[in-house]
Amino acid sequence: SGELYCSLPNPRNVRFESVNMKNVLHWSAPEGSGDGVLYKVKYAVYGVGKWIRKPECRNINRTWCDLSSETSDYEEQYYASVKAFLNGTCSDWMETARFNPLTDTKIDPPMVSVSSTDKSISIILTAPEKWKGSPEEESISLLQVYPGLQYNVSVLNKKTKKRWFFSISNNTLVVPWLEPGTAYCVSAQIHVTTPLLDSGFSKEHCIATLKDK
Amino acid sequence: LGACRVSMSMAEIRAGFAAIKANIQSRDPVRSLSILSHPHSLHKVKSSDRCCIAHHLFTFYVDKVFRHCRTEDSFVNRKISSIANSFLSARRKLGQCREQNNCVCGEESTEKFKQILANYEGLNVTSAAMKSLGELDILLDWMEKSR
Repeated sequence: SGELYCSLPNPRNVRFESVNMKNVLHWSAPEGSGDGVLYKVKYAVYGVGKWIRKPECRNINRTWCDLSSETSDYEEQYYASVKAFLNGTCSDWMETARFNPLTDTKIDPPMVSVSSTDKSISIILTAPEKWKGSPEEESISLLQVYPGLQYNVSVLNKKTKKRWFFSISNNTLVVPWLEPGTAYCVSAQIHVTTPLLDSGFSKEHCIATLKDK
Repeated sequence: LGACRVSMSMAEIRAGFAAIKANIQSRDPVRSLSILSHPHSLHKVKSSDRCCIAHHLFTFYVDKVFRHCRTEDSFVNRKISSIANSFLSARRKLGQCREQNNCVCGEESTEKFKQILANYEGLNVTSAAMKSLGELDILLDWMEKSR
């Protein structure tokens, strides 16, 4: 394939970056390589002896490659590898560590929706969906992937600055005995105990309880 | 796990493994072979066989894996022995439950476990033990999925 002796420095820091199982291979350009470097990518299922080329990431000049559909089976584990080319010379193949989509992904915060009465607020939480290749594909909530998924919910009384924390397994929470006509701000986080995975907290959703009747 | 409910601190084992995963897996250069996941996947084990297979696998890890995984790194060794102790107690409980519930492995699952042993015996002891330890998350993922 026209590859001469591979004397080009290697791509660096080759790793998967994964959010909600959208699994993207990232790397840094070879040290001091400047412009014009092209790359190709291959991947392998752990335990299966074959490297598989990724055609959409052949001769690319960007330093990432989306391997989400190739690594969508989270009962498997994977490796990926990158090779650099410049002016007829090349680098070695540089590999990731073993990638386990189930334990090595990050999870987005849940979606939060709130409503209120005069003395309570109701909170509905929605876990993010697993990445899917196209809108037509069936949606899989991360709740199905992680049966032990829980929600940590923070409720702040804007007037008194008093904050409560709740940890719940189902996705709805009603906070009673609140002050009428008062603003409360809600934020929530996903917590999976095993494997240990925590999302960040969602942005705050503020709502005021209705004034006294 | 099928008929048996065994309490074990999965979070502790997971945390212990996560702390040494990169170290252990980097000692296993053979990507084209797996002990637990190929050619048969644990995820295809029938639910009625899970209790029996889990007991076999715990015995496999206690008798054939942990004892052959000493490293030059004392931190890694401490984590390995902590995981091993958790497996020892879980195996005892699973063994008791297996007897009480007469959990037997079906033919298909017996074949799967034989394949796991064959995969293990296909490598020298240290490599096989280190590879098996590096696949602990495959076992833990399967156990948690079966909850």
